[in-house]
Amino acid sequence: SAANERVLRSADAHPADYPTVLAVDEMGRLLEERSEGRLSIKTYAGGQLGAEKDALEITIFGGLDLTRVSIAPLSAIAAEAVVPALPFLFRNTAHMRAALDGAPGETILAALEPHGLIGLCFYDAGARSFYTRDRAIMAPEDLKGLKIRVMNSDMFVSMVETLGGDAAPMPYGEVYQGLMQGVVDGAENNWPSYESSRHFEAAPVYSLTRHVMAPEVLVMSAKRWRRLSEEDRALIRQCAKDSVPFMRAVWDERSRKAEEHLRAANVEIVTPDTQAFVEKVKPVWDRYLTTPALHRLADDIRTLGQTKEAGDV
Amino acid sequence: MFKLLTAFSKLTSRAALYISFAGLIGMTVIISWQVFARYVLHAAPSWTEQASLLLMLWFILFAAAAGVREGFHIRLTLLEDALPDNRKRILRLFCHGVVLFFGAAMAWSGAGLVFETWSHTIPTLGLPRGLAYLPIAIAGALIVVYTVERIILETRGGEAERIWN
Amino acid sequence: MELTLLLLALAVLLAAGAPVAFALGAASLSAFFMLGIPPIVAFQRLAAGMNVFSLMAIPFFVFAGELMARTGIAERLIHVAEGAFGRARGGLGQVDVGASMLFGAVSGSAAASVSAMGSTLIPMMKQRGYDEDYAVNVTITAAILGILIPPSHNMIIYAAAAPMGVDVGALFLAGVMPGLLAGGALMIAAWAVAARRNYPRGAFPGWRVFLRALAAAVPGLMTALIIVFGILLGVFTPTESAAVAVIYTIVIGAVLYRTLGLEEFFAAACAAVKTTAMVMLIIGSAGMFGWLFALLEGPQTLAALLTAASSEPWAVMLMVVLILLVLGAFMDMAPLLIITTPIFLPVAVEVGIDPIHFGVVMLLTLAIGLVTPPVGSVLFLGCAVGGAKPEAVVKTIWPFYLALIATLLLVVAIPALTLWLPALFK
Ligand code: NA
Ligand code: NA
Repeated sequence: SAANERVLRSADAHPADYPTVLAVDEMGRLLEERSEGRLSIKTYAGGQLGAEKDALEITIFGGLDLTRVSIAPLSAIAAEAVVPALPFLFRNTAHMRAALDGAPGETILAALEPHGLIGLCFYDAGARSFYTRDRAIMAPEDLKGLKIRVMNSDMFVSMVETLGGDAAPMPYGEVYQGLMQGVVDGAENNWPSYESSRHFEAAPVYSLTRHVMAPEVLVMSAKRWRRLSEEDRALIRQCAKDSVPFMRAVWDERSRKAEEHLRAANVEIVTPDTQAFVEKVKPVWDRYLTTPALHRLADDIRTLGQTKEAGDV
Repeated sequence: MFKLLTAFSKLTSRAALYISFAGLIGMTVIISWQVFARYVLHAAPSWTEQASLLLMLWFILFAAAAGVREGFHIRLTLLEDALPDNRKRILRLFCHGVVLFFGAAMAWSGAGLVFETWSHTIPTLGLPRGLAYLPIAIAGALIVVYTVERIILETRGGEAERIWN
Repeated sequence: MELTLLLLALAVLLAAGAPVAFALGAASLSAFFMLGIPPIVAFQRLAAGMNVFSLMAIPFFVFAGELMARTGIAERLIHVAEGAFGRARGGLGQVDVGASMLFGAVSGSAAASVSAMGSTLIPMMKQRGYDEDYAVNVTITAAILGILIPPSHNMIIYAAAAPMGVDVGALFLAGVMPGLLAGGALMIAAWAVAARRNYPRGAFPGWRVFLRALAAAVPGLMTALIIVFGILLGVFTPTESAAVAVIYTIVIGAVLYRTLGLEEFFAAACAAVKTTAMVMLIIGSAGMFGWLFALLEGPQTLAALLTAASSEPWAVMLMVVLILLVLGAFMDMAPLLIITTPIFLPVAVEVGIDPIHFGVVMLLTLAIGLVTPPVGSVLFLGCAVGGAKPEAVVKTIWPFYLALIATLLLVVAIPALTLWLPALFK
């Protein structure tokens, strides 16, 4: 029907008050305003329309119009999506944002198109660090003998195993119990997830390795995209772009609050020197940068802004 | 022609039974191996979870298809029991029609899923994602065959020989 | 509008007698076509619904339960119960409840319990002059105790369906007291009916015989300790514990008791595969249905209806209990658990109910649904095992329903019944 044709359905695995969901809501507000009510977005938060990899497939099939996913499920579809998830690729938040806003980001989003997805924009997901039940991770050797939960992604498995730990791919929902009972000894995630998942109750040692700064991505179904006019496509792209600064502001605030709360709670926070980690993960890069094009993409990101030192955020 | 159908249906139902046995035992072995490896070898294999899930998906769908032929799926017979015999048969034919509709959609969409996701990979196994959807297509096709057999038998007034017991 | 049509189509197909999985699937498919959503999305949901790691515990627990029923583990548990409860009026009824509690403690499957207890005890009761309806009534209502007494694959399904993390170890412990309470209530009901019908009293076999029976049952009872403490101490995940239970049962049956031959093994495997395929196809179809329900904003509609009347925790819980009793009359436990947990649990948590407490209430309510007509898989199975007609059995079952409902109300009213034990082990 006409009404169904107008409303874009968007899925997100994060809860309704999460920055990515708020950002897509904001995008919807802009879209409705600028299209004078012709186009709008309805968000389904909390994974009610499926886990990330499933929602992604449904979007490719044309059952959903938009989906926000982390980079991990995308890397099973397009090789380019693995690059921004490479460990220690970004020097800091400013570097990450500059790379994703620039040409490398465009390349990655464009690489999704042959697979039935229109990449609209990147959202922040902070820096991931290891957290454990008791042992602080000051050097790669400290991971030896520890079972570390990772996302169901080959890159994360290979990263943890290269660093010397035992990688245990496990669904996010089972991690709390796994940590509580010692089925796994630790996991890795950013400040807000470490807090909202209450994993800090079971694994109260947070080691700031900041090993991965993989972003999140908002994608649109190419099936729906093809039915839109040129103007509407441009409008959607612009509204998505404009939701990014909004998202980053919400994210920074939320990240700060989570860190503040965790520092006030009984969480032990340590800051290791990451040089040894950087050396040790080199084989992971070699394993995933399998073509000259992927090498070039990683190099472009690495050398970006290296001449003038960007300040850390 | 109908003889051929009956032979095919018997053969595949028996095959589904053996595949299911193998799948169940395989799963048990893989998950026990996961525990053994963790405690005895001090190395947790990362492939075991996805491998046993894939195995389960395959054998469950084969068994579920065979369940149509063998008639072991749960259903309400309240209305059927209350009807006279000739009406019973009409109601049963309607239900076969429902199963046929579902089975045909399953075969068609399952094939579509395999086609759309063959280029994606299953993490930790490195196998095509489409492998997880292939049993849907096959089970759908089997359900169609079994239901056609049951419809023919229903109109002729016979029953298929049970293989599972 | 679409939501109403979807529910209506489902009701018609179910009533016509289409298999539950296919009724759910066909009704959902029609809605996909109506909404213009490609049908491959529906079958992706079917696969995704079944492709859940913790659901692998289902085939394992059912397989272990079927093996126990066929290798003499169940029989040895009956001997223990006979020594402990046989002397009472209508002693075999008490034995049935007691043995079902023991069997429930080693297996998570109500279906395995019915076949294990029913195939031995129902003929035994008939032979000693008990009525068929009584024998089946006791067996089927006692069989659902295993859902509350850990381990329990339905608890794993609940935890998997919960949108927030639920600790399966804590849930297992939470079921213990309500399970024992329900067992006690069923024993009272079994005694009262037996007294009215003047059933015979059994005799105590003597301490020597009793202790020997107990010793013979110990290896079987060890399964419970291995599973429950294995999970609590973090030795393995619930799914792994179920696989370990299968291996352990095979070892006991084949090596220790020497009762497990290839024939029993394949019969158990066949029964496990059948049950699993049946349940999992329903779970898959429920995945299609649930996705549509979410897309059409069913949960929000329902939550608004629920909290409009009252937001008192007990009132919300009672309303959920009522809805689930009605739904449970028509549908099986596993799919209802899968469909309704994500709908009701967030509402419950919102009004301040503990997810563990709520889970036990849901499990007991839906377990009762397994023995209520018109659709009750344990009811049907018990009738098949006992060679009885469901209509005849249901006519005299009300004292047993009463016992279970009384337990349910106590569990709703007193959170400590569920939460005290898990808190003790924290
Ligand atoms: Na149990
Ligand atoms: Na029922």
